[in-house]
Amino acid sequence: MRKIITTVLTVATLALPIVDANAATKAAKKKIVVTKKFAGSVASVDRWGNLQVTIVVRKTTTAVNGKKKVTRKLTGLSVPTYPNHTDRSVYINQNALPILKSEALQRQSASINLVSGATDTSYAFAQSLQAAILKAKRA
Amino acid sequence: MTMTTATETFPGIRRVEHVMGMPIVLDIRDDEVDEVVVEKMFEWLGWVDATFSTYKPDSEISRLNRGELLFEEAHGEVRGVLSRCEALRVATDGYFDVRRASGEPIDPSGLVKGWAVDRAALLLENGGVRNYAVSAGGDMRLRGRAVPELSWRVGIQHPLDRTAVAKVIETTELAVATSGAYARGDHVWNPRTGQSPRGILSVTVVGPKLEVADAFATAVFAMGPDLGPRWTASLRDYEAMTILADQTILATGGFPDD
Repeated sequence: MRKIITTVLTVATLALPIVDANAATKAAKKKIVVTKKFAGSVASVDRWGNLQVTIVVRKTTTAVNGKKKVTRKLTGLSVPTYPNHTDRSVYINQNALPILKSEALQRQSASINLVSGATDTSYAFAQSLQAAILKAKRA
Repeated sequence: MTMTTATETFPGIRRVEHVMGMPIVLDIRDDEVDEVVVEKMFEWLGWVDATFSTYKPDSEISRLNRGELLFEEAHGEVRGVLSRCEALRVATDGYFDVRRASGEPIDPSGLVKGWAVDRAALLLENGGVRNYAVSAGGDMRLRGRAVPELSWRVGIQHPLDRTAVAKVIETTELAVATSGAYARGDHVWNPRTGQSPRGILSVTVVGPKLEVADAFATAVFAMGPDLGPRWTASLRDYEAMTILADQTILATGGFPDD
């Protein structure tokens, strides 16, 4: 009864036509990127109150020889309006809002103090941690 | 194995010791550090190792598994840990389980590490330590800041590239636990299928207690790429980031950023 929101908003791509790489080589290419925030409609969640979801979509328009290709990617997601119930935690716990942010795995090389990772019992791991500490010390 | 670095540029001390079969890193950034507190913390971890290790034949856990020690006769801390293992088994729908199968020997290591570090953090705080990081094999408790910086910056290990991090978390108080198969090979099983999960590279869980964060990270990993991230969306007080085999990151709404 309370499972109003059943859609799992995890998949990042809303529409993604594959760009033909060969066609793009000769012709004049024009690319427009627009990032917009979209508020979803306010939905009533049973007796718990209202809920609204906001998403951020990056729209990329590529024009090749006057032919347009549009791709949209979901880059952000938030829930600005939660059910206005006195016990919000009960609501969240029982309904398990299945909302997750999605992004692509990237390599980062930022300055850090420590590394969290799967346990490695080897001496090498201790060495690398020690190296991280020393690196942080110089930073 | 002990390594102590010199402290020319930072206040405090940094120490790495091998306890419980893994490197324990202690980084304190206070101007004055009571060495007695540091010794007490490592003594505590040594006691935990001697009492809970499944590799030491005379540990209480080994004796329990051989039937030489009854649950009622076990140390109060051992009984407490095993009770909380059971509570977490229930909280994770059976995905965090100290037994691989019923009747198998118990191995509470998955909880002991986080629990031991939580208590180590308490020892430090009671000893007046304000800015610290304690990491046990990559799972940690942090508080205060990495003086002279304004916070602690934790890199989440990139599951496919040992030399890189996939994410950076900035925090002044948090427990951070990561579970993955890339370091030790398959060592987490789905208790329903007995198989090691596929399609998931690593799971990081953050929150107030390392004991819980660590158990949740293990459970989510065991749940696999579909159920795991969905289950994290239902957590209270804890946030999670799952890295899938297709190199997608799924994080809960409140997962911290740098």
